[in-house]
Amino acid sequence: MEIETVPSESKPESNPLPPKPKFEPLKAHEMSDGRVQFRKVSVPPHRYSPLKKYWMDIYTPVYEQMKIDIRMNLKARKVELKTRQDTPDISNLQKCADFVQAFMLGFDVPDAIALLRLDELYVESFEIKDVKTLRGEHLSRAIGRLSGKGGKTKFAIENSTKTRIVIADTKIHLLGSFANIKIARDSLCSLILGSPAGKVYSKLRQVSARLAERF
Amino acid sequence: MIPSAMASSTETALESLHHIKSTEPPEWLVPKQELSQAVRAASKLLFSSLKPYCPKSPFDQLLTEGFDVEQIWQQIDLQSQPLLSSLRREVKKFEKHPEEISKLKDGGVGGGEKKKKVLEQIETDNVVNDDEDDDDMDMDEDEDDEEEEDEEGEEEEDEEGEEEEKERGTEEESENEGEEKGGIEDKFLKIKELQEYLEEDEAREFGLKKKKTKAESKKEEEDTEEEGDDDDEEDENEGSEDDDDEAEEEEDELGLFDGNDEEDEDDLENARYEDFFSRKKNKSSKEKAKSRDMLEEDSGSDDEQDVDKRKDGPSKHEKELDKLRSKIEEMEKANLDPKVWTMRGEVTAAQRQKNSALEVDLDFEHNVRPAPVITEEVTASLEDLIKTRISEGLFDDVQKARTSSSKAPREIKELDESKSKKGLAEVYEEEFFQKTDPASALLTFSDELKKEASMLFKKLCLKLDALSHFHFTPKPVVEDMSIQTNVPALAMEEIAPMAVSDAAMLAPEEVFSGKGDIKEEAELTKAERKRRRANKKRKFKAEAAKRMGKKA
Repeated sequence: MEIETVPSESKPESNPLPPKPKFEPLKAHEMSDGRVQFRKVSVPPHRYSPLKKYWMDIYTPVYEQMKIDIRMNLKARKVELKTRQDTPDISNLQKCADFVQAFMLGFDVPDAIALLRLDELYVESFEIKDVKTLRGEHLSRAIGRLSGKGGKTKFAIENSTKTRIVIADTKIHLLGSFANIKIARDSLCSLILGSPAGKVYSKLRQVSARLAERF
Repeated sequence: MIPSAMASSTETALESLHHIKSTEPPEWLVPKQELSQAVRAASKLLFSSLKPYCPKSPFDQLLTEGFDVEQIWQQIDLQSQPLLSSLRREVKKFEKHPEEISKLKDGGVGGGEKKKKVLEQIETDNVVNDDEDDDDMDMDEDEDDEEEEDEEGEEEEDEEGEEEEKERGTEEESENEGEEKGGIEDKFLKIKELQEYLEEDEAREFGLKKKKTKAESKKEEEDTEEEGDDDDEEDENEGSEDDDDEAEEEEDELGLFDGNDEEDEDDLENARYEDFFSRKKNKSSKEKAKSRDMLEEDSGSDDEQDVDKRKDGPSKHEKELDKLRSKIEEMEKANLDPKVWTMRGEVTAAQRQKNSALEVDLDFEHNVRPAPVITEEVTASLEDLIKTRISEGLFDDVQKARTSSSKAPREIKELDESKSKKGLAEVYEEEFFQKTDPASALLTFSDELKKEASMLFKKLCLKLDALSHFHFTPKPVVEDMSIQTNVPALAMEEIAPMAVSDAAMLAPEEVFSGKGDIKEEAELTKAERKRRRANKKRKFKAEAAKRMGKKA
């Protein structure tokens, strides 16, 4: 590669400035001065066995399509990711890291895969106590309200807003596009605050219809 | 007529009369020829005997041969009517002037005798009440009357009975009217007594005045000549009045008359305003009038002079004035009193008496049509209408009003409450495809249902067409503009029923984009080949020159 020094600006001359240099974009492995980049994602104990179960589903897209090296450090209980030489884009590493992180949070592999495929998907987490301070029975009931009977309320929200929700005790994780996450979050917050499921459903219906009409 | 014949006839008639008298009452129940003959003869005799007393009668004798019952009766009636009136007049005259009675030598058939009897009785006992004598006399008279009644027969039409009754009636009138009219009165009940009791009661009511006048009259009686006349008149009054009851009452009444007469006479001479326009006077005159009327009823013979005077007292003018005054009083009273509720304008139920609205004929508007009266005709007409409607099938069914929906109904998005089978990636993938490629119809849930339904319907249609050996008329082709994309027919919605073709929707000439007459390689002539090559070369050269220019 040609490295051209940029002429210093401190040269005040009457002659016109030289043309701007053209650089081609850096390759992944050239970044950080040609050093390799790592990401490490810790594995919570309750996701250990699912990780073992779905390891190949995780490994294959990361390694094959994203061109990122991935391995599991059993001792440290971490998943490690590393760029390769032929990694096309530096953002791949981040995407893979997010993908693995999403899996660790509790999302399913097909859902988490969307992170790899689409750029504008995000994961958001919040706790119930952020919304309303609840203790004991109230807390349990709030969690029950969120899920609904057999999880139907959660699924209803998921299907109507095209998001994925993970309710882990008092922590709630959302996966989806920005606007959809917002809608899902509003519904969940209203459920936490005590509104009945029917009310939430009607609101969801309206919103989703509006969303669908846009196309 | 021949007197001998008359005499013989009279004898036969008398015989017949006696015969009739002797017959028992039950025998009259059955019509008998000999009895009727006897009766006719007797009636003839009586008729002719009465003839001299009624000058106006057109018949000399009663014509019975060949005459109907009604006709005989009419004849009797013709004779008896004027006779009765004349008799009445006579009786009145005798009442006034009893001395004339003594002049009478020949009475009628028993009539004169009876009159004499009566007069004697009058002269003998007046003031004292001899009911018994009256009763006896009455009884005798009754018996006679009854006998005559019987004789004259209750069978057939009582033609003679009428006559006799009339005679009896006249006889009764000749007596004092105080004597009974037969049958009603007896020892215990006397109508005259009743009347006089009433008078006494009224006298008691207006007691003061009467006493006053009586006193005055007594004083005055001693003075004037008129008193003397009055005394005579008194006596006469007493005599002519009824036998009954209290002399005091009679005296009172008479005194009343006299006193009043005195007063009236004085007042007439000195007529004053008070006479005409004062209440007291009117009252007393009213009282006088009342008592006067009653006495007039009682006795046929009052002092006519006195009566006339009394009548003049409250003159007609005064009477009219009285009426007017009373009317005025009434009206004034009505004006002062609170109005009747009907005249008061708006009245609620509390302001009027209970159920008072029922007595008044209220009129108010009914906004409701009155219920129809159900008659047979009405029901018949209704039934006819129903029958015609049924036969025509013209029922007034309610037509459902179609809401004209201009736009298609919005699909209600159902919330799927089950775990989505697609991963999030697939969801977004589909969404992306929908955005970019509208032709790729992604099946929604409803579309899937529709597809399923259409599949079922197609299967059904296949089976039905197999029934008709696949003979069917296809739908008529409606030509309309439609854009056809060059997509394999399979990809489009299936409209062709059976055939499956791989052919593209567009025809070759629609696909072809070119000009002119295309020829195959083999078809080209030499000259054309050469021309083609020359064109090619020219193009190549031009291109090469361009490239060179670029490089340089």
